[in-house]
Amino acid sequence: MRSSVHNLERQGALISVSPRIASILFIFCLACAPLFAQTSGSDSAVPILTGNAGFFTNVQGGKTEIVPEINPVVLVPLGDHWLVEARGEFEGDFERKNGNGPYGGGVDKELDYLQVDYIANPYVTVTVGRFLTPFGIYNERLYPIWIRSLQPEPLIFPIGTGSSDGAMLRGGFPVNAKVNLNYAAYFSVSETNDVLDADRTAGGRVGFFLPGPRIEAGFSWQKLLQEERSNAFGFHFAWQPAALPLNLRSEYARSNLGSGYWIEAAYRLSQVPFWQHAMRHAEVVGRAQQLFAGQIEEDDAEEYGIPDVNTRQADFGLNYYLADGLKATGSYSRQFSSDGNFNLWTVGIAYRFAIPLGRVGMQ
Amino acid sequence: MKLRLIVLIWALALISALYAAAASPRTGSETVPVVRPAADADAMRIEGEKRFRANCSRCHAAPHKFPPRMMATIVRHMRVRATITDEDMRLVLYYMAQ
Repeated sequence: MRSSVHNLERQGALISVSPRIASILFIFCLACAPLFAQTSGSDSAVPILTGNAGFFTNVQGGKTEIVPEINPVVLVPLGDHWLVEARGEFEGDFERKNGNGPYGGGVDKELDYLQVDYIANPYVTVTVGRFLTPFGIYNERLYPIWIRSLQPEPLIFPIGTGSSDGAMLRGGFPVNAKVNLNYAAYFSVSETNDVLDADRTAGGRVGFFLPGPRIEAGFSWQKLLQEERSNAFGFHFAWQPAALPLNLRSEYARSNLGSGYWIEAAYRLSQVPFWQHAMRHAEVVGRAQQLFAGQIEEDDAEEYGIPDVNTRQADFGLNYYLADGLKATGSYSRQFSSDGNFNLWTVGIAYRFAIPLGRVGMQ
Repeated sequence: MKLRLIVLIWALALISALYAAAASPRTGSETVPVVRPAADADAMRIEGEKRFRANCSRCHAAPHKFPPRMMATIVRHMRVRATITDEDMRLVLYYMAQ
């Protein structure tokens, strides 16, 4: 996953990287020191290797691409208050060479996060290391392929998201019986290393969740503390009505890269009165989205993965949950822009796995 | 100057959080729930299912239940990732570990 604002000319513009890496490692060591004083009983949490794997075929404008990927997640709980967690991303992008030749291509490797979490109290969790930038809801919550309802990412996804290197305070707590508040505030250093790529930023997100009607609304903000020192902000909204197996989600984001929104509805067919045995495993999805291009060069737009012209897109999808953590997925998208309209078809399968790395006892 | 100010604020926030943690009673434990009277257990299970549907189902389909020690790890991960509250986490863990 790329940093939100990948600067192409940052070499030489910033102070040296080594002290920053040293600072991160120092904070890491400081945070890890008390871990060894913690004890864990026989009934405590056990380390886990989890994550997801998938295999997808995309046809974009008549060009076929095969995308196998695996995203391992390691979770290591330490004592009652600590968690070390990491996620890697290995994604192959294979296309036919010269139109009819054999499939070929490379494998992208990313370190999405490698962080130490300290659950300080019911209100605050302290996170240090490399973490997913808390901007909107898609990056942190909906990105994994076994979770997302549509495999193509939203057009505005590159705005404000990616990974950050630094420290973060976050948490969630009830304000009263009807409202929960959740927040995240972070500071990230600049890093040009390929694996730990990040921008120097500060930002945060605040959300309010109403458990009764199952509505969440929130606001995100990010300040780039280098180069153009621009601001990005966004809103998110989610609603899951209790009476229907419906999931409504939406985000709006604005930055110098552009601005735009997406609105998505996913409906599980569990209330359909016929073929119930099969229908309750099926989900239909629709999404509308629009991007208003910012003042950005074509090369930069390609680097960020965001269109450099105004773009609209409609997406329709069907998911079928074959078993726990295993789903077949297919979608059709139609994109409209001054660069040309095209179709995007996606079909594939996604699987979530979870393997204990220790004794779990009896279930 | 601004960088120093930000670093100072972060350092103060970090120290405050760690101090608060040291001073507050240990409430963050997600060890596997203990056995409770039947009526309490039923009430907690029902409330746990309600919290699960309100919090977890917003993003993903309900997974099959894992062994309690795995669930303790998964719920801790999700507490951080989804910023769910301490109470919600405890009830969801109770429900998922039954």
